[in-house]
Amino acid sequence: MKWLKNIALTGAALMALAAGPAQAAGELHLYNWGDYINPEIIDKFSKEYDVKVSLDTYSTNEEMLAKIQAGATGYDLVWPSVHMADIMVQLGLVEESKINQSKGFENIDPGALRAKQDPKADFCLPYAWGPVGIFYNKTVAGQDFKSWKDLFDYAAKNPGRVTLLDDLRETLGIGLIMNGKSVNTRDPADIKLAEEFILKQKPNIAAFRYDVIPLIEGGDMAASHYYVGGVLYVNKRPKDLGFVIPEEGATMYQENVCMLKTAPNKDNAKLFMEFLLRPEIAAQNSTMLTNGVVNKAALELLPPELKNNPAINPPPEVRAKLQIFEDLGADLKVYDRAWSRIKAN
Amino acid sequence: MAERSTISSQRRKALFVLLTPITLLLGAFFLIPLGIMVVYSFLEPGLYGGVVWSFYPYNYGRIFGWPLGGGEEFEPLYIQIILNSLYYAALTVIVTLVVCYPVAFWVSRMGPLAKNIVLFAITLPFFANLLVRIYAWLLLLRPTGAVNTALLSLGIIDQPLNMIFTEFAVIVGLVYVLTPFMFLPIYASVERLDWSLVQASQDLGATPFQTFRRVILPLTAPGIAGGCVIVFIPALGNFIVPSFLGGSKVQMTGNVIERQFLQARNWPFGSTLAMIVMASVLLLVLAYTLWMRRAANNERLAGAGHV
Repeated sequence: MKWLKNIALTGAALMALAAGPAQAAGELHLYNWGDYINPEIIDKFSKEYDVKVSLDTYSTNEEMLAKIQAGATGYDLVWPSVHMADIMVQLGLVEESKINQSKGFENIDPGALRAKQDPKADFCLPYAWGPVGIFYNKTVAGQDFKSWKDLFDYAAKNPGRVTLLDDLRETLGIGLIMNGKSVNTRDPADIKLAEEFILKQKPNIAAFRYDVIPLIEGGDMAASHYYVGGVLYVNKRPKDLGFVIPEEGATMYQENVCMLKTAPNKDNAKLFMEFLLRPEIAAQNSTMLTNGVVNKAALELLPPELKNNPAINPPPEVRAKLQIFEDLGADLKVYDRAWSRIKAN
Repeated sequence: MAERSTISSQRRKALFVLLTPITLLLGAFFLIPLGIMVVYSFLEPGLYGGVVWSFYPYNYGRIFGWPLGGGEEFEPLYIQIILNSLYYAALTVIVTLVVCYPVAFWVSRMGPLAKNIVLFAITLPFFANLLVRIYAWLLLLRPTGAVNTALLSLGIIDQPLNMIFTEFAVIVGLVYVLTPFMFLPIYASVERLDWSLVQASQDLGATPFQTFRRVILPLTAPGIAGGCVIVFIPALGNFIVPSFLGGSKVQMTGNVIERQFLQARNWPFGSTLAMIVMASVLLLVLAYTLWMRRAANNERLAGAGHV
């Protein structure tokens, strides 16, 4: 019977070879948000491990989920926001990477382990976080902004010079914060208050828009509801531009790096996750992204204009006022309706 | 007799061969997606996008008020948004028509070289991507943009005009994008206009207005109607212009559909709204076809009367 076993083994080996090329050739396929990783660190990884790395991008969590759920294979690592990482773990799309046992994991800020389905980072590695605040042009506005109240007072005096994000949860989120409610509320009465608040501001708001950097830089708009990424531009022109986390509190986002169950190159994917744990790599990445850092050792390596920036590295009392979005499931409908009414009136 | 039937059967065969590719193409890339949309509009939304395969007529109920159930509420809001889109589309049709109609006459009277240059210039924008062209309007209309800078330096205004992110900007954008679609059919019918009929009308003592109303307008009406239909349809479904130039404050049905598929993760409701846009377009095209057929019949009757 030995010959039978040999044939079976050879067959298995042949099949492994046939299925193999994508795995064995030293490849890694990343599927990330647009402009959300420093290309230099990809190059570095590629050279150090002799791995060919490809990068595709998406612009919403839903887009990425839809593609993965539709059966897109070939991607190794994805960068879902925390609530989406929870969904993906629940749906069984994410591989248990055991990244929490890798060297360097002790540097990860325990506060960044936000995923409810993955509280110990058995699956995904916290990547970066950031607040959503006010990005403004001091020269045009002739003032600094400290709070949402400042923003809306300015808008009332200067209609048409302020923009809000075209995002139903972010923008209704301001309304909830101004009414002292949680941005994850499911109570229709709370959402109604937020709707009324935003609707009251709408006549003074120039636009609901994501792409505002050129408008603020050029002085067409005075202030915008925008992500912490605006700090990149503030640091280039600190005299003219500013970014602030409003006093009343704000929302924040965080993305985690997750290895897919269907990943063809799991070893390389794990290597890349461990590569991201290195403080100098994490610091190099964050310097370009101007995001909040989840790696405590990397924080020390940041250039001073980032390390000491209260938006990138906020003090604990400000951090305490930041709220992260949770997935609302079917209750998202209540927000969508409020948002449609805001848009239509 | 035998010969004739061979020819006609050959004709039929040729027609069949010629029509097969386009039929397959339309079948694969139009009817199948349309079918998916119809089916999706009667399904329950999945929690994270996609659909749950159970019958769910309430997406229509949310718009029209019946049937209701499954936690859906009737919101007159969506009818209001659809009416709003119809208004923008109609306004776009009117402005493009007013702009294109006289220009078509002017161009048709040009020499052959000038005519070709003008026609080329009108089709030129199609060589550049739509998004780039819309972005260019953003740069023109913004407070520090070309238009405001010019007006300020000429001393006509002393404060930049608020043009960007207004209804005005949306209409400008829609008119700009859709003008060629209005111009070309009108131009084609003006080019075919028999000027001897115009002369005859003048000789018979008609005033210029009577000549226009009784001769020129009826003869160019098919071009006008064709232009109106093919401007109205894309204007109704547009979502890029209102979101770019209207700052998303102006909301058309296309924007709501886009949001249902992305932010709101409600594919069935997005499909339902898309079906309603389709239905209104279909009604319009149906009316146009019936009207054209009646016009053709009238012409044939008129022709028969002469003999």
